Amino acid sequence: MANNRYDLAVIGSGPGGYEAAIRASQLKMRVCVIERDRPGGVCLNWGCIPSKALLNSAETMEIIGAAAREHGIQTGEVRFDFKRIIQRSREAAEKLSRGVRFLLRKNNIELIEASAAFDGPQRLTLTRSDGNAPSAPAVEAERILIATGSRERLFAGMRIGDGMLTSREALVYDQLPESVAVIGAGAVGLEFGYFYQAFGARVTIIELEKQMLPGVCDAEVAEELRRAFVKRKVDVLLGHGYKSAARHGDRWSVALDNNSQGKTVEAEMVLVAVGRTPNSDSLGLEKIGVELERGGFIRIDEYFRTTRDGIYAIGDVIRPPLLAHKASAEGIAAVEMMAGVREPGFDLMNIPGCVYCQPEVATIGMTEAAAKAAGIEVKVGKFPFRANGKAVAVNHVEGFVKLVAGRKYGEVIGCQIIGHGATDMISEVALGKTLEATTLEFGRTVHPHPTISEAIMEAALAADGEAINF
Amino acid sequence: MSIEITMPKLSDTMEEGKILRWLKHPGDKVSRGEPLAEVETDKADMIMEAFDDGVMQEIVLAEGESAPVGATIARLAALGEEVKPSASGAAPRPEPEARTGAPEPVPRPSKPVAVRKRPVAARGAGQAEAPGNGSAPAELAPQPRQELPASESPEPQSNGQAPPAAQPHQESAHREPARASEEVSAMRPAAPRPVAVSHEADLAKLKASPLARRAAEEAGIDLSQVHGTGPEGRITKRDIDSFLREQQLFRQRRLVTPREGSPGTWEELSKMRRTIAQRMAASKREIPHFYVTMEIDMEESVRLKKSLEATEIFDESITYNDIVIKACSLALGRYPRMNASFENDGIRIHPSINIGMAVAVEDGLIVPVIKECQQLTLPEIARAAHRLVAKAAQGGFTADELSGATFSISNMGMLGIEHFSAVIVPPQAAILAVSAIKERPVVRNGQLAVGTTMMLTVSCDHRIVDGVVAGRFLQEMKRFLENPASLLV
Repeated sequence: MANNRYDLAVIGSGPGGYEAAIRASQLKMRVCVIERDRPGGVCLNWGCIPSKALLNSAETMEIIGAAAREHGIQTGEVRFDFKRIIQRSREAAEKLSRGVRFLLRKNNIELIEASAAFDGPQRLTLTRSDGNAPSAPAVEAERILIATGSRERLFAGMRIGDGMLTSREALVYDQLPESVAVIGAGAVGLEFGYFYQAFGARVTIIELEKQMLPGVCDAEVAEELRRAFVKRKVDVLLGHGYKSAARHGDRWSVALDNNSQGKTVEAEMVLVAVGRTPNSDSLGLEKIGVELERGGFIRIDEYFRTTRDGIYAIGDVIRPPLLAHKASAEGIAAVEMMAGVREPGFDLMNIPGCVYCQPEVATIGMTEAAAKAAGIEVKVGKFPFRANGKAVAVNHVEGFVKLVAGRKYGEVIGCQIIGHGATDMISEVALGKTLEATTLEFGRTVHPHPTISEAIMEAALAADGEAINF
Repeated sequence: MSIEITMPKLSDTMEEGKILRWLKHPGDKVSRGEPLAEVETDKADMIMEAFDDGVMQEIVLAEGESAPVGATIARLAALGEEVKPSASGAAPRPEPEARTGAPEPVPRPSKPVAVRKRPVAARGAGQAEAPGNGSAPAELAPQPRQELPASESPEPQSNGQAPPAAQPHQESAHREPARASEEVSAMRPAAPRPVAVSHEADLAKLKASPLARRAAEEAGIDLSQVHGTGPEGRITKRDIDSFLREQQLFRQRRLVTPREGSPGTWEELSKMRRTIAQRMAASKREIPHFYVTMEIDMEESVRLKKSLEATEIFDESITYNDIVIKACSLALGRYPRMNASFENDGIRIHPSINIGMAVAVEDGLIVPVIKECQQLTLPEIARAAHRLVAKAAQGGFTADELSGATFSISNMGMLGIEHFSAVIVPPQAAILAVSAIKERPVVRNGQLAVGTTMMLTVSCDHRIVDGVVAGRFLQEMKRFLENPASLLV
């Protein structure tokens, strides 16, 4: 029995849970991680990683197709094996999931494969869905960290099956549909829309809001992205709400809301990408007095403590944005606070958000509109990729960098980048934001030439009216 | 002829004062009305101002030391007189090379600087051992380098115990890793940079973000005075903001400075004092007061305030006073009889909750009113309260802002008051006296423990309410303050 007593039990082995566990182990805690599915959570198995594998296939297709002609490279007929594309993505996920297993073992963290439910504030009972007995009936721990993440949300009346899918099913669906109706123009909808169009599917994206990436993205960036999708022959229906979907034979007919005057979209597949919902049910939280907030998120304080002593929560299950790197950072922060080596608080304004279709979109902090609405006086610097030497040379001229800085001191309030490599470029801005760098430091930091990253330096200079190359 | 500066009587009850910090040093020009020193009295930390023009000649009472009212604490040379450094007392300012021809090494803050108690006290302790020790003069000189250990060290206690001479070493060891990153920001063209190499190096060595440096420069803050709360003591924008806020508070606290009275004189009542005299005497004469006190566990409210600070959810920073006002307006909503007045042999129960806040000003107090509290969220109350307090400092109230209160609050928490009761403002039914939030022994599950509590005393008009209502009202306040999430709704 003594064996089943831990300093910290982590529920969930996603990027939030497993990284928190490793940090806890580094801080000399005896740790176990409880996982009901595969190690690595949604990110590694059903999200970030496998979807990036698919997007890489799509981009490769785009390069071989349209881009090759631009380069004067001739190809014969380009064919592809869709089953292999899906399989490669699964292999990537599998490899990384094994990697998580290895990391846990290397750090002396016990991985318990079972579902957990609270039996008391320091006790979890374990069950397995496959009918086998778990390695132990229960686990006891001084502290418990809930890192159970989130799952795909559906609208009322939707049912998965018969060609209606969420991202989770799409990741293993190895038939290329002839046409797809994507509900929702958030990151997931856009990435799958981009993926299917690259292999020749007729894609229609349906979004209730008036812009792509609503709520997170600058309107100018969203418009640039819409144009890029339209150029790729994707039908983008903004300001159209989903009303219902009906199956006619082997096709779906998606009815749009009243404003759309009875408009319908016909497609072989309906991909539902309307957000995610926290996995805060089925843990028995109500039994032990862990309170939830609106939307089912677990309520926490600035130490990631729930309303019950000794129980902590991080990641998708506590608050948006629902992002893997936010979960990891919160998990590490929570554990460091438990160990008393970190001060309380967590800056949610310094979390990059990324979309990995082409062109990529990366954002951090506030948009120009949000800053103005908050009464912050800003100056804005913009620099287009087409004025960047490297972007022209490598034929990725779509997109621009938009930097929003405080008018008085030039501190970076936000940054939005659309274009090739945007998701890697945003880290520079994130570091600058952490260090409270101003446009002056960005502008004076020597960037290597030729690189697309020079666009950030130029955007910073542009905020002060001093851009050199534009 | 030198002019003696003596310890002023900064409050009615003050018998002695402690110098927290000299703001002028030997050799500095002083003009009448300029801040000379920060003095800790029995009531508050206050700024002592110069009564004469001149040049600071000698500091007699070192920082951290106390002296009775009237004792000589420094000497001022009349203008034009040559300043001769005195050998006695605590240290003349060692003239740095920068003074000969070079610009002033570091812009010294032109405004009174907020007092951070622990570090300053710790420094004082270190200096007490200093006289005779060769390092003492350096310790007292107002160079940024000497200020650093006090404001930067995360553990002032250990500094206080260490021999003063050891401090520079500790400091440089502490700072070493910062240098590389700081050199980048030191390149920025700033306001005239100090020419003296040592100071420039010292400032550059300070760990501070580029944004913090810019904001400090703009506000004329000497970065070496700022306590960094970032990783390893790095100064961030937030530290500059809270430094400025402290400064603001300090300036507001100066309002509390009671008018000085000279023994053996007779003063005519000012208009304000006359009003206070009439109304308070009438209140005590006509209103049958009774008093009910309750101890409130403030741990949750403290936590709420901290988490609001940490998350910066509201633009307005929330003070305990705002939290109490919000809780009070909720409690009044449930016990409307406390929000009433005695009129024409009847009781008028008011439809709105308008809370008057007693604010001390130089010659008495005024009670600006936050109207319609029942409709205001916590940040809205905070905004209104802070605006009124700022107005009290500057003047310019409209008649409307000073009338129509249906209930009053008097808060003496900032003065560390244990417990007090207030006089009802007629025709209101009650007034709430708010004391300091302190660590006090509490009993939890039969065990003695350290709790964070606050005493609330409500003074009530017995013609309007009875003890039960007053007690329930306080119980209600207790419930809100001990479960303060309710205050955010």
